[in-house]
Amino acid sequence: MTNNDKSIGERVLKIALAVFSFLVLFFLFLPILVVIPMSFSSASALEFPPPGFSFRWYQALFSDKNWMEAMRNSFIIAAVSSTLALILGALAAYGLVRSGNRFVGILESNFIAPLIVPPVVTGVALYIVFGYVGLLGTFGGLIIGHTVLAVPYVILVMVVAVRAFDYRIEQVAYSMGASWVTIARRIMLPNILPSLLAAWLFAFITSFDEVIVTWFVSGAIPTIPKKMFNELIIEINPTITAIASLLIIFSTIGVWIFATLMNRKE
Amino acid sequence: MSNARKRRTSFVFVTPLLVSMILAFNVPLILMFALSFTNPGFTFEHYETLVAQPIYMKVLGNTIRIAVIATVVCAVIGYPLAYWISSLRPKHQVIMIAFVVIPFWVSILVRTYAWIVVLGNAGILNSFLVDIGLLEKPARFIYNELGVIIGTTNILLPFLVLPLYASMTKIDQRLIQAGESLGATKTQIFAKIFFPLTLPALGAGSLLVFMLTLGFFVTPAILGGGRVSMIANLLDILINSLPKWELASAVSIILLAATLGCFWIYRRLDTLRS
Repeated sequence: MTNNDKSIGERVLKIALAVFSFLVLFFLFLPILVVIPMSFSSASALEFPPPGFSFRWYQALFSDKNWMEAMRNSFIIAAVSSTLALILGALAAYGLVRSGNRFVGILESNFIAPLIVPPVVTGVALYIVFGYVGLLGTFGGLIIGHTVLAVPYVILVMVVAVRAFDYRIEQVAYSMGASWVTIARRIMLPNILPSLLAAWLFAFITSFDEVIVTWFVSGAIPTIPKKMFNELIIEINPTITAIASLLIIFSTIGVWIFATLMNRKE
Repeated sequence: MSNARKRRTSFVFVTPLLVSMILAFNVPLILMFALSFTNPGFTFEHYETLVAQPIYMKVLGNTIRIAVIATVVCAVIGYPLAYWISSLRPKHQVIMIAFVVIPFWVSILVRTYAWIVVLGNAGILNSFLVDIGLLEKPARFIYNELGVIIGTTNILLPFLVLPLYASMTKIDQRLIQAGESLGATKTQIFAKIFFPLTLPALGAGSLLVFMLTLGFFVTPAILGGGRVSMIANLLDILINSLPKWELASAVSIILLAATLGCFWIYRRLDTLRS
């Protein structure tokens, strides 16, 4: 084989690889590329490309009492459970990093475990326990379930944040007579605030998106993902494209804020 | 501050979460474990039922088959993608990785729904193929196992591509140069140096995809059209329709054990990687 042949063969291979990779990226992105234009369609059936532009599905969404109730529930549950997960998780992350205890590894694994245990298993386990204690179909039960699922994200973000904060600064403040409250408020908090916000956001999106545990323990309480799941099994209604697009935009903004917060920290 | 005091204050910080997690996570799992051996005394009968009745074995077989296929497809299309991205200029690498990560953030429900729009009976692909005369009537792309595999692959691909890409960028370029200077061809370098070095990451990523597919619920429920049952959908029926809590507990314990087993091997591979 001459040198020239080889470079032509190589070039063809390179182009083939690039084309293939673009196709795979297209495959990954296709769902997002399809859903957003569909939500602005004027057609009442699935038609692509949409025949005309309209806001009718957004109007249908916002004038539908059931969707609005689901949205309100999702916001309440996400707000409460992400805040709970943040408070409990941030305190625990601080304790985990600052203690020299040899059980720290086990504790941390236990806090991250809901990320590894299949959500459907967590759902069944919570269903059974909630069935015994009467929490099935209650906001309390849903908030407990979502908090458990959000805790791993808070732990992952906050352990890194606390570890990055120089312990000696705290020691100096302490030795100069600052109280715990002062240290927490004046020294810790300003330093870890971006991470706290990022962790809270992470937890909020986790809860807002959660469908599996919700499916098992929510009883008659509708949430956005649960209602979407329900409707997707029964029938296809273009209203879903509107809520789907809102969710895409919502999570994109969330990720963007998250990335900005993490960048500012560095 | 003394060490003892430090330990005590740390404990105070960890306790609220520890107590909450034990009550809301560990105790439910332990109770479920206990329930799977109860009727009302100690028994293995729920596990025996699972083995004895063909329907349960069929669901298990289905799940494992779909998980294996999805894993293989992810590996086959994910490896070239990761390889290509790692060969780009650093600035372009960041952009392409962003494209891999963004879908990650979009709700699984939304991404699953999109496949109905694309591949459904009245979907984009079918209307197109019928319009140009390639098909007489719409083909069935979804509401069967193919649909479940397409949806699953689409959602789990990033889990494979990201660790693979990371391992590829970490390869010591001097090894490649050494191969070149010794007269190895590009193919030889890839087969003898590059590929073996990425093998642990490929294994770890594949295992992650396999493990996550085992517990998939939303995608088979929607894109399987009620025809393709996986373990998670069986659990849904056992809890919400029948209900058979003890049997559901036994199935959950098996799923949990399989997942933890996969995760353990994954961690081993991960330490091998770094």
